[in-house]
Amino acid sequence: MKKHALIFGYNEYGVEIAKNILNQYENITIFRLEKDSDFSDKKNDLTIKEFDLSDDWTGTIGTYDIEKSVVFCSLEDVAKNIFLTISLRSAFSDLFIIALTNNNEDANKLRMAGASKVIPIVETTANIITDMLKKPIITKVLHDILYEDSDLKIEQVKIKNEKYFENKYPADIKWSRDHGVLVISIIHEDESSEFIYSSKTKHHYIKNGDIFVVVGYTKDIEEFKKYVGKSDEK
Amino acid sequence: MNFFARLLVDFAYILNTSVWYQRKRRFFYNILENEDYKYKKYFDIFMMLLIFLSVSILIYEVKRDAHDYLQFFNNYIISLVFFVEYMLRLWISSSISKVIIHQNEYCDLLNRKFNFMFIVKRVLRDKFEYVFSPKAIIDLLAIMPFFHELRLLRIFILFRVFKIFRYAKSFQTFSAVLATKKFEFFTLSMFASIVIFVSSVLIYVMEANNPDSSIDTLYKAFYWSIVTISTVGYGDVVAVSSEGQFVAVIVILSGISVLAFTTSLFVSAFTEKLEDIKESKIIQDVSKMKRIYIICGYENIAKEVAKKLVSAGFSIIVIDECPHRTEEAKKDSYMALNYNPGSVDSYKKLNIDMSTQVKAILCLREDDVSNVYSALTIRSIDKNVYILSLLMNKINKNKLLHSGVNEILYDKEFVGLIAKEYIGQPVAFEAIHALGSEASIIKMEEIVVTERISSGIRYVKNLDNINFRIVLLGVYKKSSTRFYFNPMDDTLLEIGDYLLVIGNYMFISEYIKHLSKKIKA
Repeated sequence: MKKHALIFGYNEYGVEIAKNILNQYENITIFRLEKDSDFSDKKNDLTIKEFDLSDDWTGTIGTYDIEKSVVFCSLEDVAKNIFLTISLRSAFSDLFIIALTNNNEDANKLRMAGASKVIPIVETTANIITDMLKKPIITKVLHDILYEDSDLKIEQVKIKNEKYFENKYPADIKWSRDHGVLVISIIHEDESSEFIYSSKTKHHYIKNGDIFVVVGYTKDIEEFKKYVGKSDEK
Repeated sequence: MNFFARLLVDFAYILNTSVWYQRKRRFFYNILENEDYKYKKYFDIFMMLLIFLSVSILIYEVKRDAHDYLQFFNNYIISLVFFVEYMLRLWISSSISKVIIHQNEYCDLLNRKFNFMFIVKRVLRDKFEYVFSPKAIIDLLAIMPFFHELRLLRIFILFRVFKIFRYAKSFQTFSAVLATKKFEFFTLSMFASIVIFVSSVLIYVMEANNPDSSIDTLYKAFYWSIVTISTVGYGDVVAVSSEGQFVAVIVILSGISVLAFTTSLFVSAFTEKLEDIKESKIIQDVSKMKRIYIICGYENIAKEVAKKLVSAGFSIIVIDECPHRTEEAKKDSYMALNYNPGSVDSYKKLNIDMSTQVKAILCLREDDVSNVYSALTIRSIDKNVYILSLLMNKINKNKLLHSGVNEILYDKEFVGLIAKEYIGQPVAFEAIHALGSEASIIKMEEIVVTERISSGIRYVKNLDNINFRIVLLGVYKKSSTRFYFNPMDDTLLEIGDYLLVIGNYMFISEYIKHLSKKIKA
């Protein structure tokens, strides 16, 4: 579990990220690029520090435990954001970096610069809009499951007690009736993701280390977790 | 007011308030004059067929004797159809009852005597205005072959060809474009006429007494001038004297300039009007569309949304007040108009019924002020049309809600939520988002429970989804507008409910077919 969230870019995106992850980290720091913008947020009590694009990280993230930190690169200037990502990656090879960008072209550059995960804002927003128009009900349900504080959750559950599923294929088990949850997909040890009814999963015996992506009510998921072995994921 | 005047006014009021009469009048107006009326094109095609048939019979008759039936059909049936059409056009060209009512109200208001002669004059003026219009004259001439006993009048069948102008919209566009250069064409024709007149007289004077010259009449001189100035130069009539040849050189040079000027006039007229022609074509196409998305503004997010909607098979139209952005949308092969999304006039020009033709309006300018303004404008036109708007600055959320927007999308908030979810459940997040990606063969779909499905499948237990390797995420009940996750086996399925399923898109497609087939069981 990461302890520190370091957000580079004091702007609306940075503040929104900080607000949403507030309960998940021991401390959250927003780094403001010197003379970057006039943006100011007085509503939220956030720790703001300044940084520059030099390679000296001693005064900034050098003080944090890098292994337990996650970094968000959300500078508005794309070129500076890419430069920041590449600087951080060259200095900290194990750092988990999430970078924001406007378009797919820059998303590729950010990935090449070493970002662990890239959120393309324009494409993501456009996807949400088209999904809302094309499949309004699915979009609403998924939105509630993923982002809202509803009882219905999507979670990843790691299998630790394979003995319960001895010689059984995932598709053979009536998850919804036996456990009250729906298993959508299985992530194998090699991190490949497979849909529950795909041909590959059909011939895969459940074993320890598999991660199930399950949808269900919080209570049922907790019960399920207990059943397959207490998970340390979350 | 005397008895007859009273009778006339009463009759006018009866006609004006008669639903039946007005409906018939509107119908004939639509079929004859309203370009937006969906059945007009069938009428136009029918009339054009009659014209071609009529001309074909005329050509056939030149060297052969046409069958009596053919002649009867050409002289009476087609002429009768044209006559009926002419009378209907005359009828709808102006309303007599409205003239009478207007005059009556005018006289009542000013306490004047009802003037019957004024009405007669006014009605005749209106009707003659139509009768003497070029199109009506052609229509009348096209009926003339009806009097087939007068052999000369048979040639009037050719006037029927001119009637095509009335039915083929491209001809109308062509003449409308040329009409914009009326003054230039007039100047050109004056110049050409003077050159033709002077050169005809000159060549006649120079050549008429020359025994070797074929230009011995003023008519031949005129013919020579026309052939020469048009740069056609058949060579059947030529100037032989050196004076005549000098005149020929002058006429040839003038001809080149006349031809060049004419060509440039045509080109410039069409270049100038090209945008208008394209615009009216777009409006015409849009007015016939159903379930269209109107995208207001064409910036980064709008571009991406337009791309995704079009690739999903939806019809869109982009409207943006910025010519540069509109041009960009056109280059991206979308229907785009350089209209202001914040102006009522823009939507009026589009000539669409928002409640039936528009599926949603997307205010996607990356500027809250513009989106609020556009949303208010749209809401003032239609109370029910679905509006989705981008929100750029959170402090403007209430303003957008007040302007009547149904759905607001604040991208910064979404980025925050995505970041939160990704950090909390990276594997689950990736897995669920992979379902939405275009590349994935595993899809999430909504299957609406139709009357057909509902009559075959009453309960969730009958759905048989597992055999199709499909996960039933839940049922969205229309009656309670609630989503029921992992529903019980005895959950009743009603018409209008949605099944939310996850699976291979091919299996889903097969599954939908299977659900619809169940009725036969």
